[in-house]
Amino acid sequence: MANYHPSDELLMQFTAGQKHDALGVLVACHLESCSECRKRTQVFEQLGGELLDASKEVKFSNGFLDSLLNKLKDAPPKEVESSGDIRLPRPLRRFIPGYFDTLPWSGISRNIKEFTLPFSDERYTAKFYKIAAGKELPIHTHKGNEFTLVLSGQFSDEAGDYKEGDFILADTDTLHQPKASKDADCICFAVMDAPLKFTGFFGRMLNPFLR
Amino acid sequence: MSSQNSNTLRPLDDLIIRIANNQDQQAFIELFEQIGAKLKAYAIRCGALDGEAEDIVQECMLTVWRKAHQFNPKTASATTWLYTIVRNKRIDMARKTKYDVVLSDDLWPEPEGEDLETDVARDLEGKIARTLLHGLPEEQRQIVYKVYFEGKSHSEIANELDLPLGTIKSRLRLAMKKLDTLAQEQMTWLIIILLTNF
Ligand SMILES: [Zn+2]
Repeated sequence: MANYHPSDELLMQFTAGQKHDALGVLVACHLESCSECRKRTQVFEQLGGELLDASKEVKFSNGFLDSLLNKLKDAPPKEVESSGDIRLPRPLRRFIPGYFDTLPWSGISRNIKEFTLPFSDERYTAKFYKIAAGKELPIHTHKGNEFTLVLSGQFSDEAGDYKEGDFILADTDTLHQPKASKDADCICFAVMDAPLKFTGFFGRMLNPFLR
Repeated sequence: MSSQNSNTLRPLDDLIIRIANNQDQQAFIELFEQIGAKLKAYAIRCGALDGEAEDIVQECMLTVWRKAHQFNPKTASATTWLYTIVRNKRIDMARKTKYDVVLSDDLWPEPEGEDLETDVARDLEGKIARTLLHGLPEEQRQIVYKVYFEGKSHSEIANELDLPLGTIKSRLRLAMKKLDTLAQEQMTWLIIILLTNF
């Protein structure tokens, strides 16, 4: 069970269908493994149902129902074959070619690799980060919000220890230095609305590579 | 059905089950007559134009026809189920022309196995949500609407209404507190969750 969860504000926006973007995928991945948050979204879905029920009615153009009834006989559209590696969370599978070990990682440094997810998303950048076992990211802060989900392994920073399924929000007030646990590489799915900002001297040198 | 309580959700449940069991076209028409105009209103409220809203309702009703067997009255009320369908269609209709965008199937994959849900959801059925909505003062309800229909975050709502973020949060907290007094028995656990987070 995860120990760190999305806020109710975010779960409500997600359930309202207002996060159909990289951040929504990240929330969906957390929900897949967190029954506690799934229960909360059920409540927000009921609220949606009630909003629907309370909607004012809007009339249809002439012939709408007849044309709808005519379509009942049409063959249903082909279901898209689910593809992707079954070890990945389902919301991510369609977007990832293969599994962690076959991805075209690019190196930020020897111990830190990244892979940019192919979402067409104007608001967010989505990446996988891989921190080698026992290694740490340079100390950094964020220009905006950074949402992180641990996909594999564990990491820790000043504020806590995070394991698979944990959902972490870092913002402009967070100054941290995530470190992977020493027994395994840590792979995280991160969605951010602005690039990281490294603060130390070596960190500043890394900044251009993170754009 | 000669229940004096004709406002309960029972009839919608029955209609969907008749569609699932018998491909009952009459039930489908009745369902459309009860809910179609609300589905359209929902789509319009979310920003769809009239014609787009009709496309969304059409896709939504076709999905009801084809997937009625997936409706499980033990885990969700009919309106909740219909809500999830229209929400998903609204997302997909707006985006189907683009490539590599996130679709509703990515966000809410169909359950692979038996979907074991708790009794909690069923017990709370409707009650919470109805209480929440109708028991709230306008200023609190307005915030819930902005999240659902406009996708606003608390800070965006604060900007828009030109109110401090703290006010938005405290209004939501008040909303949840109000619920506490209105539906104490079922609600206790939810209130705890919401109060600690908003
Ligand atoms: Zn959770």
